[in-house]
Amino acid sequence: MSLEKTALHEIHISLQAKMAEFAGFEMPIQYSSVKKEVMAVRQDVGIFDVSHMGEFFVEGPDAIKFVDFLITNDFLNAENLKAVYSPLCREDGTIIDDLIAYKLSPEKALICVNAANIEKDWNWIFQQAKPFNLELSNQSKSYSLLAIQGPNSAELLQKVGLISKEELNPDFFPYYSIKQITKNNSSLILARTGYTGEDGFEVFSPSPEITQSIWKESTLNGAMPCGLAARDVLRLEVCYPLYGHELSDEVTPLDSALKWTVKLDKNNFLGKSVLSSYKPKYRLIKLSLDKGIPREGYPILNDKNENIGKVTSGTLSVMLNKGVSLGLVEKDKFPEDKKFFIQIRKNVLEANYQAKPFYKGGHK
Amino acid sequence: MGHITPENLNYTKDHEWTNIETDIATIGITDFAQSALGDIVFVELPEKGSVIKKGDSFGVVESIKSVSDLYAPLSGEIVDVNNNLEDSPESINEAPYDSWMIKVRLSVPEERNELLSWNVYQTHCEKDS
Repeated sequence: MSLEKTALHEIHISLQAKMAEFAGFEMPIQYSSVKKEVMAVRQDVGIFDVSHMGEFFVEGPDAIKFVDFLITNDFLNAENLKAVYSPLCREDGTIIDDLIAYKLSPEKALICVNAANIEKDWNWIFQQAKPFNLELSNQSKSYSLLAIQGPNSAELLQKVGLISKEELNPDFFPYYSIKQITKNNSSLILARTGYTGEDGFEVFSPSPEITQSIWKESTLNGAMPCGLAARDVLRLEVCYPLYGHELSDEVTPLDSALKWTVKLDKNNFLGKSVLSSYKPKYRLIKLSLDKGIPREGYPILNDKNENIGKVTSGTLSVMLNKGVSLGLVEKDKFPEDKKFFIQIRKNVLEANYQAKPFYKGGHK
Repeated sequence: MGHITPENLNYTKDHEWTNIETDIATIGITDFAQSALGDIVFVELPEKGSVIKKGDSFGVVESIKSVSDLYAPLSGEIVDVNNNLEDSPESINEAPYDSWMIKVRLSVPEERNELLSWNVYQTHCEKDS
């Protein structure tokens, strides 16, 4: 099977990026070094090609009502031009995917989904749409997505001429909102969202040429090309969940620290009746190690050496220079003393339980 | 991309180098290996005095996003371990042929005949990249 390529594929090759398969796409994993790329996003600005992500457009009189019915978070009452993060659940409460829904107008929404789930999500959403008065379109193949992230990302957008300084003022363009702009006769959606914990933007572009020109202009103006490896470290440092790891077909949002996204007082939504009385089976916890690096699949033990769960994502934190991880433990085995151990190969190491994210990003 | 492959060493397909002086083999990972791994951030090595068999995993090297086993290129007793690497694993990236990991007293000396010479190893790397 040949892999799909993004509009920036040739640029990645010319930059000698390490490329690898991800969700059927050939994607850049790293360019210079993961450490340098993470530091650039935390302290300056980095640019990511995340064009593998999926884009569905929902348009029509029922568009907003429909998206609100699909997802557990509140989309109906979100203001126009706002972004809403949410799980997408089945009736039994299990998670099909997590997504960001963007309210483009009172009758149009954009849903951005994970690359690995595009087909699964599309089939589900298409099926649910029948009673609603709207049109659905899957434009994942024609849209590119760039993420420009870091404390200097706003300044960079201004330098490359995408938007003026006045329009970037967070009072008028806050985190989790969007602006629609026109460049060379193409309409771009500029969202102040991201997956790094820093201030940053995501640019949805239907034109490969414009995507390439924004990439080139951005890197010429100091944005460091960053790969998917750095992206994973960045999201894990700030404890954002990733589908296929913390979230899956096997768990509900209430098992995986997403209670804040489940609005049980909403009129109706898929999964509401089950989630209303659901008793969580798991609890998502944050564990760090002073020595050693926790990795996905490593067992989590209590102080009696009993297996109580497993690491769902782990990495070395570049900012903290220590191993950090998220893990799911069985809720009824959650130890009151909060003493946790991680088994790495033959060694059992005591882990530090943390209530707060390992690193606090700078987004407003 | 070019990688350094000294002519005086022997190699394995798993990208380890060995330098054999009489019956002691010094073992590390190659320039090709460190470059493929990226920033090396953690190394786990065996205890001095333990015995390894050719092909067994004797430790791990970890980059930020990956864990790779180290496979013994030769059998024998580990007579020395470079514990400095635990505090400065990045030295493997900077100088892979100075950053030896273990020294092994060979118990099956004829195993050395199965190691690759530098030019055979280089051809192997070209296929692997």
